[in-house]
Amino acid sequence: MPQVDDLILEKELREIIAKIIEIAPDRITLEATFVNDLGMDSMMALEILAAMEKKYKIQVPEEKLGRLRTLKDAINLAKEYL
Amino acid sequence: MMNIEEIKSLIPQRHPFLMLDRVLEIKPGESIRAYKNVSINEDYFRGHFPDAPIFPGALTAEAMAQAACILFKKSMPDVNVTTPYITNMKIRFLKPVVPGDQLEVIVKSVKMVRTGGVFETEAHVRESVIAKGEMTFACK
Repeated sequence: MPQVDDLILEKELREIIAKIIEIAPDRITLEATFVNDLGMDSMMALEILAAMEKKYKIQVPEEKLGRLRTLKDAINLAKEYL
Repeated sequence: MMNIEEIKSLIPQRHPFLMLDRVLEIKPGESIRAYKNVSINEDYFRGHFPDAPIFPGALTAEAMAQAACILFKKSMPDVNVTTPYITNMKIRFLKPVVPGDQLEVIVKSVKMVRTGGVFETEAHVRESVIAKGEMTFACK
């Protein structure tokens, strides 16, 4: 069932990101870059990371923050620490 | 416990914009509890409001931010913070604060990195929660 889990993770992370960036969830494709395509700034990336940590009860090291550029990155990062 | 001189050594705000009098407890990396004594002698009560003095909610939010800044500096002592600035704040104000109240703020770290932090916060007067929310600040 890992594929279903991935879909749930994608849906949940899309909702988290949409709420923080304040845009419609359907604009957040897997490949859309947060900064260039969705208008996010670096502190919003920190908020996304904090929200991910809180929701999934994970701890992501600070140096991974720079890897958080797309929804796909967020999914991979969450999976790495789940 | 941290007195006003120690607070001033950690944050750049000064009168009339210093919104904390004392830090009661600090756990670096985790949380801080601090308070401000709200006095009728403060100048903003002349206009907010002339016949019904209420401590401005914006200043409650500022007290929360200053406490977060102290928590950050104590948690990240090797980071040189010259100017902290708020990038996001969502606070719900539940009850008014009036002269004579002791405004206690509690800030808990959700995530801190070298460039800033995300925090959850509450403000209390006596045992009652008067405001709560979350904020993000960045350091320069």
